[in-house]
Amino acid sequence: MPGAPNPDRTAMNPSPDPLDPLLDRWRPPEGETPSMAPEVWRRIGAAESRKGVLASFWEDLDLWLSRPPFAALFVACCALLGLFLAEVRVNRHEREQSALLARSYLQLIDPLLKEDVVAKSP
Amino acid sequence: MNRGRKILLLGLVVGLATHFASYTLRRTYDPSSLDGQLAWMKSELQLTDAQFARIRELHEASSPRLRALASRVAQMQAEFVAFENTRRQSDRVDFIEFAHFVETRRAISRECLDSTRRLVLESASQMTPAQRALYLGIVAPASPEASSVVH
Repeated sequence: MPGAPNPDRTAMNPSPDPLDPLLDRWRPPEGETPSMAPEVWRRIGAAESRKGVLASFWEDLDLWLSRPPFAALFVACCALLGLFLAEVRVNRHEREQSALLARSYLQLIDPLLKEDVVAKSP
Repeated sequence: MNRGRKILLLGLVVGLATHFASYTLRRTYDPSSLDGQLAWMKSELQLTDAQFARIRELHEASSPRLRALASRVAQMQAEFVAFENTRRQSDRVDFIEFAHFVETRRAISRECLDSTRRLVLESASQMTPAQRALYLGIVAPASPEASSVVH
């Protein structure tokens, strides 16, 4: 009867499949498995680098600054940097101011002092 | 705006605020007034209040005289320029008048030197040796003689 299962294939002792010897001979290719992981990472890295350095930078920055300890540390560092730069500016201003005050004082106490002599004084 | 960028902005604001607050709160001295110069000297030489009061007194006492002398020195310089112009234009010199001018200028110079030296010595005598050394370093261009006398 057409469409009925072949009695040979459903028998308890089937005939040997011609693919079996081929499958038995198959071995995983040597040396391919160890190099797979670096290759995967290389592809991930390449995909991330395609996102753009700037975008990656902002993402990293957001990630770090969203952690409270790092955020507090960053704000404290900004305040300290502001203080340091103010100190540098004040020192320079004070040096100029001291030289100017010394010149004015010398001109006050010595009416004979010429401008050029005062200007050369330290 | 996400949280990380808010923190970044906050840090910048805090840094700038700290910088400008620290810079503007520093004390400054007015170089054109005697008060400003003396306040600067007090800070520079680390004078005590008593020293400062005495030195201020000395300067206030001699200041009008020194200003008057400075005005006379300026007047003598103007007279000298006028002499020089007359000599160039007429090729003649009034030697008697010039001798009188030189004598007057010499007297004023002597008076200036004496006033400066007296003020420097009196001020230096109110100071400790370390303060005096600093002070004489500042006034050395004005009164090298006083510096050498005290040293």
